[in-house]
Amino acid sequence: MNLLNYVPGDSFLHRLNPITKLAAAFLYGIACILCGNIGMEAAFIVLMIVISASAGLAGRALRLTRNLVILGLFMFVLQLFFVRTGAPLVVVKGFVLITTGGLRSALLLSLRVVATMLPLMILFAITPMNDLCNALVKRAHLPYRYAFIITTAFRFVPLFSTEFHEIQDAQRARGVDFETKNLIRKVQLVAPLCVPLLVSSLEKVNSSAISAQMRGFELRNRTSGYKEYPFHAGDAVVFATLAGMIAVSAVLL
Amino acid sequence: MITVKNVTFRYKGNEETALNEISLTVVNHDFVGIIGTSGAGKSTLAMALNGVIPHEFAGDFYGEVLIDDEDTVDHAAEYFGRKVGEVFQDIDSQMVASVVEDEILFGLENFGIPHEEIGIRLEKVLRELGIEDLRHREIASLSGGQKQKVAIAAILALEPEILVLDEPTGELDPESSQEIFGLLKKLNEEKGITVVIVEQKIKLLCEYVKHLVVLDRGKLQFDGVPREVITHIDTFKRLGINVPPVAELSAMFRADGSYAGDVTLTVEEAEKMVREVLHDSV
Repeated sequence: MNLLNYVPGDSFLHRLNPITKLAAAFLYGIACILCGNIGMEAAFIVLMIVISASAGLAGRALRLTRNLVILGLFMFVLQLFFVRTGAPLVVVKGFVLITTGGLRSALLLSLRVVATMLPLMILFAITPMNDLCNALVKRAHLPYRYAFIITTAFRFVPLFSTEFHEIQDAQRARGVDFETKNLIRKVQLVAPLCVPLLVSSLEKVNSSAISAQMRGFELRNRTSGYKEYPFHAGDAVVFATLAGMIAVSAVLL
Repeated sequence: MITVKNVTFRYKGNEETALNEISLTVVNHDFVGIIGTSGAGKSTLAMALNGVIPHEFAGDFYGEVLIDDEDTVDHAAEYFGRKVGEVFQDIDSQMVASVVEDEILFGLENFGIPHEEIGIRLEKVLRELGIEDLRHREIASLSGGQKQKVAIAAILALEPEILVLDEPTGELDPESSQEIFGLLKKLNEEKGITVVIVEQKIKLLCEYVKHLVVLDRGKLQFDGVPREVITHIDTFKRLGINVPPVAELSAMFRADGSYAGDVTLTVEEAEKMVREVLHDSV
């Protein structure tokens, strides 16, 4: 979870309008999807890490990249053996195991997975969830109800995780050994904990709803938000740059 | 002013009533403490004071709760939300935002407070509670006492006439508990806010409240000034509520005839009493 936390800062990225950040993350992803050149795909990843570094998030970007590479490896292996186009590359006892088309496709796709996901992950580091939702309500006319669901879901994750550890500790105190190496046994031990977790979660959600209700949740409308989210010149620059990137990707297709 | 008249409430699916024929008046500028064992109906009563019960909980509700002569049953729950603000028991789940500032803004925005006034109220309430430095902090990173202050600030920003708190010091250490009580006392005395507090710590209640209500299994046992209510030491013992040792000491002296004054509620009073008793016996 800590790889998705907001990191406070005052960089160019941080100061952008939350909607620009969200759109930019998606547009960057579109550029990466359109791109069919392995070298350029790799360049997109490096560029994203450099951009993150400008916001003081180099460490975060590198760790995210490492995690995404693991995901990319799965795609790599699948593509490597299942794509059969191109000339044979590795032949074992007359059976074509890997083709050049397979290798190309595997490299491109695994890099594309990393390049597409990375900006979305970085988005969380530079945008407080509340700001993103409030801006969507104010500027993009997203109904507040949905924005509230999103922020609440994010807010409840650490609460549930604490709750889960408390239940687990209570069970441990009664002699349940969660440290077992046997994976099936572990699942068997942890699965029953879902019941108390679910019950206490529902209670928490209920009291949260009452608290929101008593503070006028039902009365809220689009103009209620106190904070304004104006667009600045920087936002326009970001949109123009991304439009350029998409155009280049599409041409090199 | 809140007037509770013969209120009985039974949660849906329960045999027993959570509140049984409760009648009680909370006058303006009052500082009321509600005490009782767990399951006595303290939280239920607190929630009945502003219409959360019966609006948000299914069950059978009898009697009436009037807030300045308006029946809580006649209006939607949030109608009284601004006038009677409530800080609920579970401190984590009642928060709606992840940053302190957003938490305080939530109610202000919802109730349509003019934007130019929102900024003023936000800063005012942060200052009043001495939490200006927490403004941009993540709520999850705060201590229990700090969270409690944020929860109170979020309600106080709405400028309620009455503030209801359900065990605000339940998970706090003695020092933070004292601090919260001190804060409430200040709000009560300086701003004239009526405070109703559900609390287990009888020593703090005796020290701060003007009016003490004792509940037992949904029934009202006592309702009066602490000094008078606390004289029923036997009943408190039966209910399993520990009365402050200083009160018990004065009761002992009264029982053996060596002291005829009021029950003592603070260490200072007890000291004075002991000196008096010793002086008399010399």
